[in-house]
Amino acid sequence: MPSAAEILQQIVNGTVIGSVYVLIALGLTVIFGILGVAHFAHGSVAMFGGYLTFWISQKYGLSLYPAMILAIPFGAALGVILELFAYRPVRNAAPINAFIVALGLTMVVDRLNMLLFGPDQLVIRTPYNGVYEIGSIAVSELRIQVVVVTVVMLCLIGYLISHTSAGRAVRAVAQNPYAATLMGIDVNWISLLIFAVSSALGVVAGALIGALLALAPGVGENLVIKGFAILILGGLGSIPGAIIGGLTLGISEALAAGLLSSAYKDVIAFMIMIIVILLRPQGLLGRK
Amino acid sequence: MKVSGLQCFTLAAFMLLGALPYLVFTPYTIQLATIALMWVLMAQGLNVIQGETGYVSIAQAGFMGVGAYASVLLVQRHGFPVWGAMLMAPLAASMLAAIIGFPSLRVKGHYFAIVTLAYNLVIFITLSNAVSITGGEGGLSAIPRPESLELPYLGTVSFHNRINYYYLTFLTAALGYLGAWLISRSAFGRVLRAIRQNEPLAEAIGVNCRRYKLTAFVISATYAGVAGVLYAHMIGFINPTPFAPDASLNAILAVIVGGSGTVAGPAVGAFMATFLPEFLRVDESTRFIAYGLILIVATIYLPRGLVPAIAEGIAALSVRFRLSGSLTSRPN
Repeated sequence: MPSAAEILQQIVNGTVIGSVYVLIALGLTVIFGILGVAHFAHGSVAMFGGYLTFWISQKYGLSLYPAMILAIPFGAALGVILELFAYRPVRNAAPINAFIVALGLTMVVDRLNMLLFGPDQLVIRTPYNGVYEIGSIAVSELRIQVVVVTVVMLCLIGYLISHTSAGRAVRAVAQNPYAATLMGIDVNWISLLIFAVSSALGVVAGALIGALLALAPGVGENLVIKGFAILILGGLGSIPGAIIGGLTLGISEALAAGLLSSAYKDVIAFMIMIIVILLRPQGLLGRK
Repeated sequence: MKVSGLQCFTLAAFMLLGALPYLVFTPYTIQLATIALMWVLMAQGLNVIQGETGYVSIAQAGFMGVGAYASVLLVQRHGFPVWGAMLMAPLAASMLAAIIGFPSLRVKGHYFAIVTLAYNLVIFITLSNAVSITGGEGGLSAIPRPESLELPYLGTVSFHNRINYYYLTFLTAALGYLGAWLISRSAFGRVLRAIRQNEPLAEAIGVNCRRYKLTAFVISATYAGVAGVLYAHMIGFINPTPFAPDASLNAILAVIVGGSGTVAGPAVGAFMATFLPEFLRVDESTRFIAYGLILIVATIYLPRGLVPAIAEGIAALSVRFRLSGSLTSRPN
């Protein structure tokens, strides 16, 4: 029987990795909720951001955060390119077409990452190695920063959506794209904006993953599937749902890995998603 | 009897494939054609759930793996004769599809696709980690070919012979093709198309959509299971790699490029998806980039696939040259 301290330690670990999941899910849920696109290549875009952060930090000797900030515009640009050349031509076709385009993009971006940055596992080195001990629980400096960065990003997105004119336009498009168009909102522009912002969030998530765990081929695919599992958990298009779903998945995964079996932790994560679908197809916070 | 252009084409393709071992002699090409025929089964199965019913399943490679492993385990662990195992194993994929499809088909569209992708990952992780049963990453080797058969007129048919194994796969794929054709023409197939076009309406008319969707899903998994069984006993060695989600995407590529919702389309797409990499002859990363781009461009410019586009082209030409309308394919 595991001790209470062990369980608590796993919950803390799960909150950290869950924060990264929240960042991924946030980008996905904004794109899905407003544009109705299941942006499957989001994980690969996040990995692109992570790899680019690694490359910039190596090349110019920068630490994690300056390199990440320099990588953000490139990640956002990648998102904009995908929207313009792949998603926009199928916007008015059946939703299944956009999904298949998304699968194609995943293949392309994933393998481009491999060609550009190589197939090796990479870790972004950081100087934040100090460990805080609270009782019997140990948390590294970097892990605390990951949670802080996530909270900052959430506040920033919340502010952008609720307090700026662009955010108001985004909310209008989410509610009713036709009425928004009639009110003079350029839906094409909003669509680009959303992809840029979501991809920027993806870059942050990718950089944090690179510092916390590692960047490797296949990580992006795994990440985006978990992102969608979170959307399903929390309810598609719901921002609070993405936060709660992300933390739930992170914590249950950490508990599963620490207490049951690390080889099957992803299986357990997907089982939770499947059980939620069985009991509440609209998601934990979704409306019927 | 009127014969449509598409039916002529199908018949010609069948005859060509039937005579293939007498037309090409390189063992490699015959092996590749055998694998292409397995992909015809994969694509044909996926078409039932994706093309007809409109539910994209990204679990097909997982079902293929379940069929493959089930057959090998029945032979190696439980002493089944190879033919018996080959006939039983696809049912493992069907049963699994029934169990996981039952809750999952409550969700639609993107949700369903993502959930099936998660299932494929679960299957893949399990195959890689349940080392005591599946051999893990190392896989299972020394898989026997099916026993020789005594057939009238043909004498002893040994399946160690590459050409005979080709014909076994060809006959299975032809049966699968016939099955898909019968499904698309049946009342059952019409209900599936109704579900694709307007599920709430179908439900309102009194169709038990869930039962139809589940049946379609189980059929699609059975096709994949059959393909997996044929694959395992031909290659003689299996590990989890060919049953990863990447391979499921390959099946989707075949269906979309060939023509989703048609019977001939997935077969054409399967041959393209198998032979294209051979012609591209590039490393795997570049190949996947090419795949992805083809998928995107095909979805944007040829959303209905090659076969309908070609059929329409022939129809347009025959109208222009005042040929008899019987050469055109009937819209379905």
